[in-house]
Amino acid sequence: MTEWLVTELAHLEEVSLDYKQKALFLATIELILEQEQRQEQFEAKLDGSLWSPSNW
Amino acid sequence: MRTLVIVSHPEISQSGSQQFLKHGIKDFEEVTFHHLEGCYPDGKINREIEHQLLKTHDRIIFQFPFYWYSSPALLKEWQDQVFAGDNFYGPEGSMLKGKEFGLVVTIGIKENAYRAGGREGYTIDELTRPYQAIANHMGMSYLPVLAIHQFAYLSEHEKKALLINYQYYLTGKQPDSFDNRTNWLVNQLERTDRSLLPEEKHESLETLVSEVAARQMTLTELKMTLDEC
Repeated sequence: MTEWLVTELAHLEEVSLDYKQKALFLATIELILEQEQRQEQFEAKLDGSLWSPSNW
Repeated sequence: MRTLVIVSHPEISQSGSQQFLKHGIKDFEEVTFHHLEGCYPDGKINREIEHQLLKTHDRIIFQFPFYWYSSPALLKEWQDQVFAGDNFYGPEGSMLKGKEFGLVVTIGIKENAYRAGGREGYTIDELTRPYQAIANHMGMSYLPVLAIHQFAYLSEHEKKALLINYQYYLTGKQPDSFDNRTNWLVNQLERTDRSLLPEEKHESLETLVSEVAARQMTLTELKMTLDEC
C-alpha cells in the first residue's frame, strides 16, 4: 500500500499545475515513508516487549 | 491562530528568497505579511498601528536577512519605537505575554560555518540571543529559529521542502512534533485546491488523505499500547 501511495503522490506532484501544491505532495511522500518506518519500529518494539520474560 | 510576519528588507523586490517566502504564504489568510520598509519608507513608525497588529496576532515572527549578525536597521528602530512605554516592561505587564515569537533569518553563509571551530565561530542561537532575551522579558514562547542558508544554491527539491517548513513555521502547532506536523499536512491536503489537478485524480487524493490520517491513528494506538506495556 505504501508503494501505491508514494507512486500516486509522485504522479500528483507531476500533474499538479501549482508549485506550492507540488511541494505539499512531496512533503506527504516523506511523511508516509516516516509513518511506515515508525510503524515497523513500534511493532518490533511491541513484539519484543510481549516476548520478554521480565514482562510476564 | 493568527500570525504576524514583520519583514525587514531594504530591497525586498530584488530578493529572491524574500519573494519566494512571500509567495509561498500568500494563500494563508491567517498570516499577515507586514513589510516595514514598504509601510514606512521615511522610517517614521506608527506605534498605534504596530501595537494593534501585535495585539491581534498570536504568533509574531521577525523575518530578515542577516546583516552583520543582526537585522536591517529599520527592524531595530521598530523595536526601539514600538517597545517603548509601559505595555512591554516585565512579563506581568507585557501585551505580548503568552504569545509565540520566532525568527526567519536568511543567511548568505553555509550552515556548518556557524559553530564553535567553524568559520563564523558561533551558532545562530548564540548570535540571536538578544531576541531570546526579548521573548523572555515579554513572557513569550520562543520558537527555534528558522535559518535559511544560501537560498540561491538550494536545489528545487530543497526549495520545495523549505516552502513546507516555512508554511509550518508560520501556521503549524508548536512544538514541531511528528504528530503536529502530520495533522497540519492532513489539513493542508484537505484544503488544497482540487481544480489544480485533473478531475480523474480527485478521488485518489481523497483516498490518500484518508490513508495518511488512518496511518496516524494506527501509530497513536501502537504508541498507547507500548506505553501500557
